[in-house]
Parts: sequence; C-alpha cells; structure tokens
Amino acid sequence: MLFQALKKVFQKPLYILLACITSLAVFAFAVWLPNISLIVSVMAHPEISFSQKLNLPFILLGSIVTNFTLLSASYTIAIAILFGVNLAMVVYFLKRKISEVKRSGIATGFFGIASGVAGMGCTACGSFLLASILSVFGVAGMLAFLPLAGGEFGILGVILLGASLYMTARHIQNPAVCKI
Amino acid sequence: MDQQKKIESEIFEKEGASQTENPYSVPLAIVIAGAIIAGAIFSSSSGKPFAPVGDNKKGVAEINQPQGGIGSLDAMKPVSAIDHILGDPDAPIKIVEFSDTECPFCKRFHPTMHNAIEEYGKNGEVAWVYRHFPIDSLHPIKARKEAEATECANELGGNAKFWAYLDRLFEITPSNNQLDLNQLPEIAVYVGLDRARFLQCLDSGKYAEHVADDLADGGNTGINGTPFSIVIAQNGKKFPLNGAQPYSAVKALIELARKEK
Repeated sequence: MLFQALKKVFQKPLYILLACITSLAVFAFAVWLPNISLIVSVMAHPEISFSQKLNLPFILLGSIVTNFTLLSASYTIAIAILFGVNLAMVVYFLKRKISEVKRSGIATGFFGIASGVAGMGCTACGSFLLASILSVFGVAGMLAFLPLAGGEFGILGVILLGASLYMTARHIQNPAVCKI
Repeated sequence: MDQQKKIESEIFEKEGASQTENPYSVPLAIVIAGAIIAGAIFSSSSGKPFAPVGDNKKGVAEINQPQGGIGSLDAMKPVSAIDHILGDPDAPIKIVEFSDTECPFCKRFHPTMHNAIEEYGKNGEVAWVYRHFPIDSLHPIKARKEAEATECANELGGNAKFWAYLDRLFEITPSNNQLDLNQLPEIAVYVGLDRARFLQCLDSGKYAEHVADDLADGGNTGINGTPFSIVIAQNGKKFPLNGAQPYSAVKALIELARKEK
C-alpha cells in the first residue's frame, strides 16, 4: 500500500522535485545548525567575496562525516528524506481531498520533525540540541541516564515520520467511496 | 454525476465531523513542534553554554561551572602567556580551541588542528591556543583529571611536553570517559616525564582551579559543546567554528582571517 501510494505521488516529477528540495533543505539545516551564527556573520560581511560566501556553507556540509556519529548521521539523513517525502505526500493529498485530511497523520509528522531536530547534534560533546534546551532548565545531566544519551529523540523522530508517512499513504490509497 | 458528488460530499462532511473530535491536533502539533525547534535553534545559536553538572572531588565544579549566562565571543579571555600555544605566540592569526579530552569529536578534530599548524604554523601565520572545557555531565571526573594531567606535564616539561602529553592522551583514549586514569602516569613516562613527580603534581590537585578557569572562560564565551574553535584575525575579528569540522572548513576560516588586517 505504501509503495503504491508513493508510486502514485511520485509519478509526477513536480513531487519528486518538491521532496528532493525539502530533503536537501532539512539536511543542510541540520548540518549547519551548530554554525548558523558563523554562516550569518560571513554572509553579512561586506568584504568577503561572493565565492567565499558560497564556499563556506558548502564546505560545512562535510561535517556530516566528521561531526556526527554513525547513528546521528543515519537518523539525520533519514529524517531529512522522510520529511521531504512526507511533505510531498501531504501536498499531493491536500491538493485533492482537503476535507479528507486526517489530522492525526500530519500532527504525527510535525512531532516527528520536532523530535528529530531536538535529537540532532553531537551527543558525546554537548552540542546536542536537546542538551542545550535542557541546560536552560538545569537538567542536562538527565541525558546521562539515557542509553543513547539523547539519540533516542532522533530515532523517535524517524519512527514518528515513518508513522506519518504510513498514515498519509493509507489515506491516499483509500479514497472516500462507499464500499460494497 | 451530480448526485454522486453530493453523496461524496455528505460522506466527507460526516468524516469531517468525526474528525472534529480533536480539531486542534494539527495546530497544537505545529505550535509544539515550532516551539521545540525554535528553542533548539535559540539555545544553539544564542551561545547559552551547556551547563555541565557533575561530580567533582575537589568541589571546583560548583565554584566555577558555567551556569548558563548568555555568552559572547568578546567575553573570551585574551590570549596570554599562561595559555598553551603551538606555533608562534606572535602569529597574526590565532585559533583558540576549547576541548575535552574525553570527547570523541575533540579526538577526531585534534589531527585537523595539527594539519592547520603544519600548513600555516611553520611560517608563523597561525598559532593554536588550547583551553580546557571538560564536560562533567558527559565525562565526569576523568575529563577534568586528564586536563589537570596535561597541566602537570606542562609544569614538569614545559610547553613542548604539554603538547606531547596532549597528543598521546588523545591518541590512546577510547573517549566517552573510557580511559583508565591509571594510564595518566604511563603517558607521562611515555613523553619523558618523571612518574613520581608527575603523580605528586596530579594528586595535589593544584591545577584544578586553572582548568575551572578555562571552563568558566568557555562558558562566558558562549560555548555549548566541544570542540569549539575561534579563529581570531589580526584585527581582532573572530570566527567561531562549532564542532569537529573538516579541515577544509578550518582552512576556509583561516583564509578569511588572513584578509582581516
């Protein structure tokens, strides 16, 4: 069913393009996030050439290899892909049957994205985003009690996005007709 | 045909009615998700330091741990004679690295910084300044003790032994608080230091405050994880680099700093 729904949506190149662009944007956002302030300051610097401005963000994408564990790189990439596919599916669905939108699927997707974003980063060295949030409340130490030190949130993000994708696919494949 | 559309419309309306059991699920999800993501971005970019909480035998953690004030690169202590510098201390470009010896990404980034010194340090253009940022909540006790051990190496053998000790420490530690602290005197012997004097220094805890000062400096600077590097140009312009970035990123920042005169 999922495969059939994907086939139905991605028969149209526009949805492939939408999914690819969204996935790349989410991936870039995740990888750049620790260095957003650097990127912003370089982009705003009047004396830095345009080519150097373009070069830095491109180079920083390489940190998916050097600044992520295998686990965090895996779920970061998975979240980016799932988010892109999810968005394309939801747009496809919304364009056809607005009144049929199952809110639960979309809501699950949003929670998946939020959980995934919170789980991004280096769990071993404190740049992990959730650690930053928790430290505001003074409870960053609780991460030490989690087996994956917070990587669980990234995995949860993948699961929720997967569930969202499944729900959306199910509704695409089940048009509202009277069953005999 | 019109009749069929009417029936479908009625079905949709009924389904819509059944879905109104929880009409706020999507807006609520968007708001919560947005809040989480915004919080993550704000925490990440505003420089609120990761506030390590930890077990410290000397009790220094409680005295000098960063406590979450908003940091600023301008608040960082200037490079001075008490720093550990690899390369020409008068180099126009300095890279201050805050690091934790038990952080696997610091271990991964250490050779990257050596590459930078290999390429830009020999001609006196770039110097590497090392500061301690042990994260107690992730690497309790050991990261601080290892930082103190490097200071003891410095006391007993000077700057060269500090770097030799640090290199060897990063080389052998499995990271993530896995190093057996009994290895610390072994590393001292390996780099040519006297074991007894080294142990005497380490056991005294005399450098605990120095390490805590570096940690507090990192907190004031807004560091939220390690490794965290700041490339300082000749004119004082600072470029922060968060994480174990590839050498090409370090090189790109050095090239940007070279233009700042």
